[in-house]
Amino acid sequence: MKNFFKDWKVHLLCLALTVAAELIGVHKFQFGSMISFSLFPMLYALIFGIILACLKVIPKSMMETASPYIGICVMFLTAKMAADIGPNLSAIISAGLPLLLQELGNLGTIFFSLPIAVFVFKMGRAAVGCCFSISREGSLAIIGDMYGLDSEEGQGVMGGYITGTLLGTLFNGLIAALFCGLGIFHPYALAMAAGTGSASMMASALAPVVNTYPEMAEELSGFAAASQVLTTADGLYMGLFVALPLTNWLYKKLKEKRKIPKPKEKM
Amino acid sequence: MKKEWIVRIKVLIISAVFVSIANFISTWKAGSVVYPWQAAPGLALMFVMIISGCLLQDLFKYFKIQLPSILFISLITILASIPGFSPIAELVRVEFGKIGLLPLCTPILAYAGISIGKDLDAFKKQGIAIVCVALCTFFGTYVGSVLIAQIMLKVTGVI
Repeated sequence: MKNFFKDWKVHLLCLALTVAAELIGVHKFQFGSMISFSLFPMLYALIFGIILACLKVIPKSMMETASPYIGICVMFLTAKMAADIGPNLSAIISAGLPLLLQELGNLGTIFFSLPIAVFVFKMGRAAVGCCFSISREGSLAIIGDMYGLDSEEGQGVMGGYITGTLLGTLFNGLIAALFCGLGIFHPYALAMAAGTGSASMMASALAPVVNTYPEMAEELSGFAAASQVLTTADGLYMGLFVALPLTNWLYKKLKEKRKIPKPKEKM
Repeated sequence: MKKEWIVRIKVLIISAVFVSIANFISTWKAGSVVYPWQAAPGLALMFVMIISGCLLQDLFKYFKIQLPSILFISLITILASIPGFSPIAELVRVEFGKIGLLPLCTPILAYAGISIGKDLDAFKKQGIAIVCVALCTFFGTYVGSVLIAQIMLKVTGVI
């Protein structure tokens, strides 16, 4: 019991980072009509930590103490996200086969980005965290719970999270504009693809489609919203039971191909 | 009581307080303030669900079945939030609604920020690669979705 309050410094620092980050608040940056991104307090909290680590003011023992607390704190995020699933269950069931199967489209990315990560960038387990999803809050919860955010997988998903926050809306807007311009895809399909689970990414991916087909604006946002609700609701379970195991399986296969000695197990 | 449980309960209570403070500042800045004591019922509900989830996980562990805690916590929360099925669904919706998703993440990433220092070299080394791979993942997700959506809409005769 005498060790019970020994870690007060870690919690105090966490509180200080949290309060400082929240006081700065959300800042939206807009350049022209297409390029915009928002910086969220959680990102500052992470960056403050990185700065403090670079200045070498956090002792190593504190870093190690804080490590398991991430996984415990993540449980609140899990509960919050899961509470969005229950009310949407009937919507998922009535959405019908097309929309449900469309969810599987989100898995296609694993076969595209994971080989690039392993063969081109020679990445290790961080590739798994980065490739199994588009690294939004739910992915942080999954990886935080399964591996811990300070594992290699955690670095992958946090890197993906930062990238998505800074470049996600811009990048998705550009891809959507490109595919819309190709003219081979039906606007409904483009609208459904816009719903990838992040609200700001959906908005930016839907904008070029609505711009091109203004007469269908209402149906298009309907398709996007339905796909978005589904991804929000089933994302946690798809990630946990389908995307992450599939990524792990493919990672193992790709590593065998690369024929490098297995890195020693960390966990 | 096992040490694991003592640490878990302690950190859950501390981080619940941090979340309520983050939520207070965040909602205050957004113009519709939720005071920490107004967020308390929602956080207490989450706490109960998390503890029940962890107990269930331990029960499964006792029978030699190892599953992540996220599974049990989310399952209990989903069941509790189904309208018409759960008597507390409305309570969950209202009380959870007072707590924003983003302020909930701030203490998590603050703990992550504190501990990231020990892996900073690895993180820096992979930085550019992670950015490129993340963008590939976004691209692949969009292309996969649009392809399957197009096929599905064609097959079912919608377009």
